[in-house]
Amino acid sequence: MIWKVIEIHVRRLRHNRVEWLLTFVVPIAFFSVFAWIFTHGVGTTPKVKVALVNAADVQAADVQAGSADDSVPASEAFQRCQQVLDHLAESEGLRVMKGTPPATGLDRKAAETMVRRGVATIAVVIDWEGNRFTADLLNDSSDQVASQVVSALVTQAMMGDAMPSAAAPISAKNNEPPTDTHTRQANPEFSQFVRKVAAESASQSPPDASFTAAPAFAPPQIEVVNILGQGKSNPVISVYAAGIAVMFLLFNASTGGGVLLEERENQTLERLLATQMTMDQLLLGKWFYLTLLGCVQVTVMFLWAQLVFGLDLLGHLDGFAIMTMATAAAAASFGLFLATLCRTRGQLGGLSVIAILTMSALGGSMVPRYVMSESLQRAGLWTFNAWALDGYDKVFWRELPVAELGPQLTVLMAAAFGLLVAARVLAIRWETA
Amino acid sequence: MISTTPPAISVTDLRKSYPLPGAGWGFGSQTAKQHVALDGITFELRQGERLAYLGPNGAGKTTMIRCLSGRTQADSGTIELMGQRVQRSSPRHMLGLVPQEIALYVDLTTRENLFAFGRFYGLRGSELQRQVEWALQWTGLADRGDELVGTFSGGMKRRINLACGVLHEPEVLLLDEPSVGVDPQSRERIFVMLDQLSDRGTSILLTTHHLDEAESQCDRIVIADHGRVVAAGTFEELLQQTIGIDRVVRIQLDQPLRGEGNEPFATTGLALTVRPGESTVTAKVSEIAVGLPRLIEAVGAADYCVVDVEVQSPTLHHVFLHLTGRELRD
Repeated sequence: MIWKVIEIHVRRLRHNRVEWLLTFVVPIAFFSVFAWIFTHGVGTTPKVKVALVNAADVQAADVQAGSADDSVPASEAFQRCQQVLDHLAESEGLRVMKGTPPATGLDRKAAETMVRRGVATIAVVIDWEGNRFTADLLNDSSDQVASQVVSALVTQAMMGDAMPSAAAPISAKNNEPPTDTHTRQANPEFSQFVRKVAAESASQSPPDASFTAAPAFAPPQIEVVNILGQGKSNPVISVYAAGIAVMFLLFNASTGGGVLLEERENQTLERLLATQMTMDQLLLGKWFYLTLLGCVQVTVMFLWAQLVFGLDLLGHLDGFAIMTMATAAAAASFGLFLATLCRTRGQLGGLSVIAILTMSALGGSMVPRYVMSESLQRAGLWTFNAWALDGYDKVFWRELPVAELGPQLTVLMAAAFGLLVAARVLAIRWETA
Repeated sequence: MISTTPPAISVTDLRKSYPLPGAGWGFGSQTAKQHVALDGITFELRQGERLAYLGPNGAGKTTMIRCLSGRTQADSGTIELMGQRVQRSSPRHMLGLVPQEIALYVDLTTRENLFAFGRFYGLRGSELQRQVEWALQWTGLADRGDELVGTFSGGMKRRINLACGVLHEPEVLLLDEPSVGVDPQSRERIFVMLDQLSDRGTSILLTTHHLDEAESQCDRIVIADHGRVVAAGTFEELLQQTIGIDRVVRIQLDQPLRGEGNEPFATTGLALTVRPGESTVTAKVSEIAVGLPRLIEAVGAADYCVVDVEVQSPTLHHVFLHLTGRELRD
């Protein structure tokens, strides 16, 4: 008997292609997607998007140039900072963002705006004060990796190749930047500094003493300034609230769309279309319902996030409302599109699981997109999870005004319209069969 | 001046074909194989009449219903509804459709279903309210109006299924297998409900495989096969057209028929089947009061004794098999 039960299930599995797909293909597909994400198996290693700012003010400094001062001349300070920035620009781990419109010389404010708008993950503001480099890393703290990576690279750039050994060529008459050969030469003064620090360390002297003893080589001062997320209770709550909400919005929309197939299977659709109701009215009725349900569902979830996890929903109500409506509308259209694409509820079940999990994985509902390779991030833009999450990110994290949501709203509304039209076209076959 | 009442439904030379599965995507349809569902169907449903539309599986009954309800477009031919020619997109507010499946929202209550379908048929306000209350009484489910349909028996669901199709008081009602899968009590109740609709003047076209229902509950019968009407008329007319009205009398003898000495049977003047070795004599008798005594007398004269007598009236079942054959269709 037990064997017969096993046999029956094996035979049923053999005849059910959707179950085959869900049992064997989908897990492998998802393993592969996540393996690509975490091993960067596809495309290139994700680069940190940086905005580089040379804060050494040439003109202001040049005014002081005549004054008796021990400090390095302003133009030389500017060149030193520029050397560090040039070196950072060559780093394989960074992608330098030029801003809009592309500008060669960003100032601190412009760079900060770029970070706030998500154009850059972090801005590096380099200056030369006294006898040492200072760097402010204007950080978006939602990316918990970027500041550490950039901090290390900036330190390396300041302490290594670009230290004042280059002073000679920089202060050379032509005021030209040093050649690559120059910047990568061993720096005897820096070596002396390192030896001195080592010696001080060995004699257990306070390090600060060594710095004062060697004013030409004070260590760089690097400060990470969280311009986004400062003071927020939990920086990732809004990210995950949006990610999970969008994913379940899609599942609910798909289930809601499945009602259409259920109605078709039990002839309710036949009966409905024999009344005064048209297919247009039926689809629009379902679309409005699913959109409304989606709005309520996401609102309940964010309210919970506010009550329990301290998310500031009420403070961002306008952006939240408009993003939620657009996302729910797109999800509703997606659910109806999938339903009209399929012939049976079984097909819909299989297809929706595959489609939604893939979209959620690529679109950032499961893993933040910033940890993905660039090619995966680009692929993610084909999912509206990514656009929805970017929108919520702008609202809750970057706290940008509603006007900044234009690209996200455009894509989501276009998806909502396009998928609804596609669903209507697919439903023609049920009208004329 | 002569006024004639137009038929509730008049179907003339209706044709409809479907591409066979796997016959391609419709390109080069000249060569694609087609399944002919309707092959020139012509019949009428008279006003106030109850017509049974019968046929074996695959005869095109469902396609016919779909054409009438506007759910599919015939390739050619005409359909007139109350004297008005209808196109696929024509409004069918005078038509009610009750599909074979329980086409209800089982997770809604009886009342919610009735309100929903009443609204879909264009009712609103007090009229909708009144019709819902009527339907609850009509189905005998007034006390179950607020219970979920999913919890009901098959017979109760069938009654609500029927009610949802007639809330808007259609002049013509299309019923696809209205009594399939229900017990005799529920079936009887359904036909009482249909009688009430008939009393209201509703013209009813129903498909069924219960031939006894068609015979006893319908005014006229149309039998279709291979997409064509093969017979139409009242039951008696169908009998006349096909197997005749004679009853079949079967007499069980006390012994097998002998090979000789059976001459008395020949003098009865009846159409007899007498085969030596068998224990029965079968005769077709038009007037049973005359023919049966004559047959029993002949049995005695041939030195046999009567063990049992069976008189069988011709039924629609016999007519149906006579017209459509005994081969399986699916």
